[in-house]
Amino acid sequence: MTQQHLAGELSVLLERVQTVTTTETAGQDASILRQAAETEPVHALGWVTVRALALTDRLCWDSLNLGDAGAFARQAAVGAALREFGVCAGLLRDA
Amino acid sequence: MAEEQGPEGSEAQVSEAQIAVHWREEEYYPPPASFVGQANAADPAILDRFTEDKFPDCFKEYADLLTWDQTWHTTLDTSNAPFFRWFVGGRLNASYNCVDRHAAANPDKTAIIFVPELESDEDVHISYAELLRQVNEFAALLRDFAGLKTGDRVTLHMPMVPELPVTMLACARLGVIHSEVFGGFSGAACGSRIADSGSHVLITVDGYYRAGQMTDHKVKADEALATAAKEGQEVDKVLVWRRRPGQYASQTPMADGRDFFVDELLPQYAGKTVEPVSMPAEAPLFLMYTSGTTGRPKGCQHSTGGYLAYVAGTSKYYQDIHPDDVYWCMADIGWITGHSYIVYGPLALGTATVIYEGVPNYPDGGRPWRIAEKLGVNIFHTSPTAIRMLRKVGPEEPRKYNYHFKNMTTVGEPIEPEVWRWYYTEVGKGKAAITDTWWQTENGGFLGSTLPALQPMKPGSCGPGVLGMFPVIYDENGNEVPKGSGKAGNICIRNPWPGIFQTVWGDPERYLDTYYRKYNKNPDSTDWRDWPYFCNDGAVQAADGYYRILGRVDDVINVAGHRLGTKEIESAALTVPEVAEAAAVPVIDDIRGRVVEIYVSLKPGLEPSEEMAVKVSKTIEAVIGKIARPKNVWIVSDMPKTRSGKIMRRVVASVSNFADVGDVTTLANPEIVEQIRHHVQAEKVARGEVPRELTEAEEAEIKAFGAE
Repeated sequence: MTQQHLAGELSVLLERVQTVTTTETAGQDASILRQAAETEPVHALGWVTVRALALTDRLCWDSLNLGDAGAFARQAAVGAALREFGVCAGLLRDA
Repeated sequence: MAEEQGPEGSEAQVSEAQIAVHWREEEYYPPPASFVGQANAADPAILDRFTEDKFPDCFKEYADLLTWDQTWHTTLDTSNAPFFRWFVGGRLNASYNCVDRHAAANPDKTAIIFVPELESDEDVHISYAELLRQVNEFAALLRDFAGLKTGDRVTLHMPMVPELPVTMLACARLGVIHSEVFGGFSGAACGSRIADSGSHVLITVDGYYRAGQMTDHKVKADEALATAAKEGQEVDKVLVWRRRPGQYASQTPMADGRDFFVDELLPQYAGKTVEPVSMPAEAPLFLMYTSGTTGRPKGCQHSTGGYLAYVAGTSKYYQDIHPDDVYWCMADIGWITGHSYIVYGPLALGTATVIYEGVPNYPDGGRPWRIAEKLGVNIFHTSPTAIRMLRKVGPEEPRKYNYHFKNMTTVGEPIEPEVWRWYYTEVGKGKAAITDTWWQTENGGFLGSTLPALQPMKPGSCGPGVLGMFPVIYDENGNEVPKGSGKAGNICIRNPWPGIFQTVWGDPERYLDTYYRKYNKNPDSTDWRDWPYFCNDGAVQAADGYYRILGRVDDVINVAGHRLGTKEIESAALTVPEVAEAAAVPVIDDIRGRVVEIYVSLKPGLEPSEEMAVKVSKTIEAVIGKIARPKNVWIVSDMPKTRSGKIMRRVVASVSNFADVGDVTTLANPEIVEQIRHHVQAEKVARGEVPRELTEAEEAEIKAFGAE
């Protein structure tokens, strides 16, 4: 199917994840995930989305532990957008 | 937010195919009488004109929608099958067909309506005469400044701005092959496509609006050039359109002698005209990259004559586009949908096509409906994902706006009946036909759909094959799966069609391997009947001939009739925090056909245990369902991998099936294969799980697993 647009939207969201990372390692993780979204077959996008959500989740916990409310808010917003997209695109199960 | 074990309730969606299989048959919806009365294809005689006995000459009807410099002498040349050639001997220019002829007949008629994302900015209406001027001037710049000539490739990395179709049409005017990369993709992705296509020129923009923010886009050009250089391709010139001429929206410096602002160069070409190059019908028009299963994107090469004829014909009959319509496809031009059904199809028919810059729900969920109301859009085209998102942010928003759609198309994914009904009732207000389409980047245009005035709609089904298209569903052994059997299989198209891509750019073997070898019985045959096109999608055909598409078949394991995607099983395993990598493989099973086994490696410092294997198994079952519960979970110290890091699933699949693992000497870690083999096979022998000897076909299946 012409599902390439899902890869594109996920790439855009992962670009947003890249901008809210607070460590070099997390930035690299986001970059790897974005590369996967742009090159892996469409059926792998669910896996990429799950990993991306796990990354934003981790980022949020790190920010909470550091008491950085601003970073937390930005990261949570990206995570919410990722989740909403994943559900609407059928990449995640709505629970 | 969830605890550290991962995002709660965010399991990878495995069951899309399963859900589809279990959808019950839905009722039919007839098209509204008001639609039928004005439809381009309202006379059932059209169905008779495209029957199999009229193939391939039936497609003359599509080709006749175009203006040809020279008529073709052969409709379909199969002498080098499956590299089919359409309208051989014919010559035409795509830019002429989409611009000049309409500018001559109706110069003031609107060609493009650009809607900026910021509602405070004015919409831009571009007439066919104005479009012709812009295309000519930019074509002159491309030829005289950038040095581009017929047959060259040029990479475009542009968002949804009107300069994108202008650029595409200017390339087409010169016979230059454009390769547009979705604007939201990274510079690295663009760079690899530059390298693969051998482009010396990159055309980009400085920035654009997305979700209310000006995005710095030029920064990606530098990243793209660095990636391309790493892959051996140097770019001489970067042409930068500015979102607001005279104002630079990027923080990235322009490179002297390499980067140029288009708005500074264009005045030198004011009033210039470029004679459209008369191209052979078979000359490539553009490349469109699509991700493959190897992680290496493939450049689908589309032709000039066949492609343009096909998108013009399907736009006319399936989207029901008339010249006086206002048509809005909400996709991005960076995808094939945008190429075919924002730019080439609608403009070939001389209609007004809407280009919207931003995201559909900015600043709120009512934006698309305000645009439709303001512009008088009467044909709307979008994806199920966008429909679901719009429904979520504003289920009753469409009611607030006074627009009237006559036809609404969906594209990109199967649409669930519940969502279909919202689209029909709320968005279409119960007064529009819905044209659910199925096709792929490789196909140029629609493969399966309903002719909206002649074939009733059925939620969840795309419909039968479109005019001149003769699909069939085969099982793995090439046996036809009968309609109405309720059984899923691999949907194929028995015949070639004008919109089909010509090859994978620079890799004809991949074209053959991926799309044709699976069901070809005679590689020397020049009869098209011997070359069914393997779509790589699974499908079910109902008794009425309508198809329900189930999704990609890559790496699907068929367990007792349930099609499980390996990636989804692996995704489920990867939600276990201790798991670092996972590979799901099929094992031949005489009762269930195939069962799943999964290999996992753990994060550093963790030891394998029975408890961990149970945890992985239970997680997969919880996420996907009992059907996906692996027969065995093998915890290994590492996975066999290529030097680029790809897990070699066929190797572990061979181990699980006691088959020959083949040559593993080129792996990054060949020693691991023997370790895994010893561990797994010794355990299986001890448990009495040694499978019978595989048949030749089964052995071939295992060896091919995960390969492409």
